[in-house]
Amino acid sequence: MDYLLHILVMISLYAILAASFNLLIGFAGLFALSQAAFFGVGAYTTAILATKLGLPFPVPLVASVLLTAAVGIVVALPALRIGGDHLVIVTLALQIIVIAIMVNWRGVTGGTDGIAGIPKIVIAGTALDTPAKFLPFAVAVAAACLAIAGRLAASPFARAVRAMRENEQAVQAAGKNIVAIKLAVFAFSAGLAAVAGALYAQYISYVSAETFTLDATIYILAMVILGGTGNLWGSLLGAVILTALPELLKFVALPPDIADKSRQILYGLALIIILLLRPQGLLGEISTRRRRRLPEAASEGIGTGAASDGEVTLEGRGLARRFGGIVAVSGLDITLRRGRIIGLIGPNGAGKTTAFNLLTGFLRPDEGAVLLNGAALTGTPPYRVVRRGVARSFQDLKLFARMTALDNVMVALPLQKGDNLLNVYFRPWRVASDERSNRAHALAILDFVGLHDKADVTAENLSYAEEKLLSIARLVATGAEVLLFDEPLSGLAPNALEAIFPVLRRLAASGKTICIIEHNLDVIRGLCDTAVFLDEGRKLAEDVPERLIADPALAARYFG
Amino acid sequence: MELILQLLVDGIVNGSHYALLGLGFSLIFGPTRITHFAFGPLYALAAYACWTAAVPLGLPLPVAVATGVACGAVSGAVVYRVLYRPFERRRSPSLVVLIASLGLFIVLENAIAIAFGSDTKVIPNFNAAVILLGDVVFTSVQVAQVVALIVVAALVALFLKRTSYGQALMAMTDNPEMARIIGIDTVKVATVAFALGSAVAAVPAMLILLKEGGTPYMGFNAVFMGFVAMVVGGIGSLRGAVIGGYTLGIVENLGTWQLPTEWQSTIAFVVLFLVLLFKPRGLLSRSAR
Repeated sequence: MDYLLHILVMISLYAILAASFNLLIGFAGLFALSQAAFFGVGAYTTAILATKLGLPFPVPLVASVLLTAAVGIVVALPALRIGGDHLVIVTLALQIIVIAIMVNWRGVTGGTDGIAGIPKIVIAGTALDTPAKFLPFAVAVAAACLAIAGRLAASPFARAVRAMRENEQAVQAAGKNIVAIKLAVFAFSAGLAAVAGALYAQYISYVSAETFTLDATIYILAMVILGGTGNLWGSLLGAVILTALPELLKFVALPPDIADKSRQILYGLALIIILLLRPQGLLGEISTRRRRRLPEAASEGIGTGAASDGEVTLEGRGLARRFGGIVAVSGLDITLRRGRIIGLIGPNGAGKTTAFNLLTGFLRPDEGAVLLNGAALTGTPPYRVVRRGVARSFQDLKLFARMTALDNVMVALPLQKGDNLLNVYFRPWRVASDERSNRAHALAILDFVGLHDKADVTAENLSYAEEKLLSIARLVATGAEVLLFDEPLSGLAPNALEAIFPVLRRLAASGKTICIIEHNLDVIRGLCDTAVFLDEGRKLAEDVPERLIADPALAARYFG
Repeated sequence: MELILQLLVDGIVNGSHYALLGLGFSLIFGPTRITHFAFGPLYALAAYACWTAAVPLGLPLPVAVATGVACGAVSGAVVYRVLYRPFERRRSPSLVVLIASLGLFIVLENAIAIAFGSDTKVIPNFNAAVILLGDVVFTSVQVAQVVALIVVAALVALFLKRTSYGQALMAMTDNPEMARIIGIDTVKVATVAFALGSAVAAVPAMLILLKEGGTPYMGFNAVFMGFVAMVVGGIGSLRGAVIGGYTLGIVENLGTWQLPTEWQSTIAFVVLFLVLLFKPRGLLSRSAR
């Protein structure tokens, strides 16, 4: 009987671990291999505080969570500048350093002997010293942890996290600070894993380094993958299956040593087979939540509003940027005016997209300055440029492919209460009401571009023209006054162009400043107030489209 | 002074070992972009193949060494075709392939442990000669480690420059998409890369077998240091992997001049952290950005 209860306790602990790991790899797409290290730091911290200092529950637990979250942030630091394979190796290195500290810092960690005799948790005078007594506590803590993780997963913050997984550049262009997001997710995930560690230490009463090696990370990883990345119920299911299943091996008469290794082989094979047959796991990610009904669109504030007075808004002065020996842009002066549509034309490689990157902080100019309403903008990181009022779209759209059209737009809405985790947990009612009005606003924007019917369709299932419209909607959602469109109309059929033209005109009429990169001269003629001709990184001419296009010298360059 | 000289010599020896691992890992990663964790257990497998030929079968050492290299090449190619290729065919994201490779890592590691037992395997009638040069001590195996790097690196360079497979491999490392477009059979080249990289890894594996003996778990450190050497040197550059390996070996050993030896392995990761913080594209990258 105790044996069965023990398995249930272990399932509870692994459910916490799998959920914490899922937040990192499933939701945020940050592939770290240090979850067992976080688990271990939590366990050792509790072991040391409870055994050597005799601190009562819940002090060691809280200390474990805080310390491990701090470790999570330290690991995330190098990961901020780099991603992918580098993150894998950095977290693997952390995993090994943590084990080295456990084994070598003998005075504190007990070295290879580990720490034994960790006191049991005492709650209301009762020591939780048997599986039967520990189980209700473990289940309650696991339920609380899953609820906390679930609250995060359903919050506006998680929407930004998933968007970051889909495309880091686009989420910055939507005004999100990915540095803060990554640090928060790492800290959160590490802190949750530490809860499991703290419970483990006081349940087993013994910790040693070998419990927290890479094998344990792979074990937890297998649970996440089996259950399904991006789905917390999946992590619970994965923890149940992969904790219970190997226990069945105990009924096969194998020497204990071989049984343990066979168990490991089982995890490995399970991983490979799931990835081949059902890479999304048993329960896939919930991308389209079914809503009872869509709220009515609140269309105030789009396509109406401020004066289109032709005041100068965004200005680039003497911008220059070189890549190695290649001059991408040099001596570029560009002035954008409120309510006007300006077109950037020029042959491929003329420096048009580089100009956008310089204006929006994605690239730092080697020379020159960017000003918004007369104030310096040079050197501001992209997400702050957006918040200050200059947003851009991408030639390759960079939509958040596995998210719905509505979520794509909602990510980009500014000043969301739910982007702040303190609000998510401590002022949920405010987040909920903010979320309601944001949803209505996002629907209004979708309506504005003509995508209202597609709100619940995932971006990857939209037609090409719809994708283009969605990228415009996302740009509008930022609320920025200056909108830079990188080829918003390329590759569209004439009738689709007809649909987008009025959208851009209405934006300009409502007081937005608009700049588009475009190859189609008919579009420039039909839409723009002025056009700038770029070639080899220099501005060759600026004039009304008719005259610019009629210039034979420019035509020769353009078509030549 | 003698101490520093001794540490430097040890650093060059360990550096040669890491450089070989980095070279092997990089030969596979460069053209295929697969983070091949199972590199570790295949490395261990090569050592066990060599041990099996030398001890239970009683074959002469050179034959056993050839067996180890052959085992490396064959197992590398087989793993690519059986494990990675199906994922490539499904166009799985690199993350999925990486997880699958971790799965194979623990499957193979534990399978070796079940098949051969967890005890340390040594070659009983082999004794390394101890050489004294002034105050510096080293063994014939350590000399072999340095010589092995020189010979293997020269052979690999020759292969890459002189053969059509070598050229195709370099082209794929530069730009896999372009390689496909100009008609390179990327599956065949990837198979060659896996065979070559694993055969290269067999050499340091067998030298460690001679030096310290082999265990089923010896592969973890190998894949890890190979990966770190590659990242420190700069991904995509074989020369970088070798330089990365030497940097790790030398810094690690010189570090023990001031630090207790049990922290030696940690020093390598401090190097890794620093390089990634200040030169994220590796030591050989032209500029940090």
